[in-house]
Amino acid sequence: MIVVEHLTKRYGALAAVRDVSFEIGRGEVVGFLGRNGAGKTTTLRVLAGFIGMTSGRVNIDGHDVQRDPIRARRLLGYMPETCPLYPEMRVYEYLGFRAAIKCVPRRERRGAVEHATAEVNAKDVLDVPIGQLSKGYRQRIGLADALVARPPLLILDEPTAGLDPNQIRDVRDLIRKLGEEHTILLSTHILSEVEAICDRALVIHHGELVATGTLPELTRQRRAGGAKLLLRAPTLDVSALARAVEGVAVARASRTEASLTELVVDFEPSADAGKTIEALVSALVRADASVREAALDKASLEDVFAALTADSAGEDGGEPST
Amino acid sequence: MNGFFAVFRREMLSLWVTPLAWVLVASFLLLQGGIFYSIVVHFSQMNDVAIDLGPVQAYFGQQSILMAISLLLLCPALTMRLFAEERRTGTIEPLLTAPVTPAAVVLGKYAATLATYVLMWAPTLLYVVILRDTGSVDWGVVSTSYCGVVGVGAGYLAVGTLMSTVTQSQLIALMLTILLQFGMFVLGIAQYIFEPGWIWEISAHISLSSQMEELSKGVVDSRRLVFDLTLVALPLFLAVRVVDSWRTDG
Repeated sequence: MIVVEHLTKRYGALAAVRDVSFEIGRGEVVGFLGRNGAGKTTTLRVLAGFIGMTSGRVNIDGHDVQRDPIRARRLLGYMPETCPLYPEMRVYEYLGFRAAIKCVPRRERRGAVEHATAEVNAKDVLDVPIGQLSKGYRQRIGLADALVARPPLLILDEPTAGLDPNQIRDVRDLIRKLGEEHTILLSTHILSEVEAICDRALVIHHGELVATGTLPELTRQRRAGGAKLLLRAPTLDVSALARAVEGVAVARASRTEASLTELVVDFEPSADAGKTIEALVSALVRADASVREAALDKASLEDVFAALTADSAGEDGGEPST
Repeated sequence: MNGFFAVFRREMLSLWVTPLAWVLVASFLLLQGGIFYSIVVHFSQMNDVAIDLGPVQAYFGQQSILMAISLLLLCPALTMRLFAEERRTGTIEPLLTAPVTPAAVVLGKYAATLATYVLMWAPTLLYVVILRDTGSVDWGVVSTSYCGVVGVGAGYLAVGTLMSTVTQSQLIALMLTILLQFGMFVLGIAQYIFEPGWIWEISAHISLSSQMEELSKGVVDSRRLVFDLTLVALPLFLAVRVVDSWRTDG
């Protein structure tokens, strides 16, 4: 649905987006994740055809956004970050205008506006001038605008920004529902949002794509991490033994209960977590220790994000600063 | 040209639901009414009137300096918000990411200001009706005069549309348009100052007041027509290029 190749956008000397490439398949719900100022909005604006690119190519379902902008735009519904609307227009006037400008045939416009407002739960404000709407309603009208021509692709720039928790939940439910029929690319700096609604995430940092994958893939992409073991080995120097296992960088042992030892190990960054813990457990068993528990540290998406977007990241393979 | 009518309708709605158009219409008509009244009073005190000089000719012709001054303020006020306001508030983003061509957006907006401008002039037809009741009216002169008014306005509005694309500030768009119009106006007046020569040629060619004077006598000169068309087409073409450049600039 979307193919981005080597997209670069410079503002003077500042490169807002650098050599970003990714693809989004039909029907996917993809989160575009990054801190504020990472280049999310710039990228989405280029995809929507609002601003040009310094170099690279963007294809929307086979249509180049620069050379074939009208056809590319007909396929997408775009909701800008600040959701700008004309305050002097009433909601139905505005959405009718948007339907007309998006080539919805005259006879179907009314139905399209009603359908879109029903979808975003804003039918009760159809007659209200937009200038009088609350932030939550404005956001919904922006979303209704993106939906009104029923495009196969939705590009939403921070759709939940500035909403209260209930509204955020409503919008997320709505996006999840829309994801059944539409391909969706949404940007956010909130991780739980991606975890809640997206199949896949793209992580952008300082204008560069630093990671992409499904959520389990992303969490796995984080360096091996470590493991915690609980074992019974009264006479054994478990930390020395653990350090001898390939892939283990640091090991600390401490007595917990009378006869139990807690062993905490950190893996080397290059080590495969699964293989290392298997080797560690079998080494312990061979040395006559009874292993009661062995658990790998589960890197949360939060950790992954912190690691990927830490400012020290990049030079040393993504070692987190904490 | 998809989107032209949608943009046109939205722009008309925005012009007429906000006080702007009404304020402009009211002050314009007040001013024109005053001018017309003084002209009629002037003519009613004259004993013998030349055949080619009546109130209509005076209104559109000799007195066109008054008209030009009112247009000088009216046209920029109509066009200043077209793009500047949309860029300031950000509504330009949903507008230009819809499947519309820059030409449709520029022409739709321009057409809305031109239609508003024509609507502003429409009530002045009443003056002609009043004159008809009290004397004879040369309808040929009336129609060429109104063509001239629309032609001059169309050019001013096109310049204003272009100026609105080059800045995000409505005030700057207004000032730039007034400046350009005033420049043309002053150049036009220069024909009364300079001796015949190439400067005089240029001044006479672009002088809107002498254009109005000719048209108010029923004289239609194709050079004037070409000039008016250029004054409309060139700024609009440039405006389309400016709008398109936002999309394509690297």
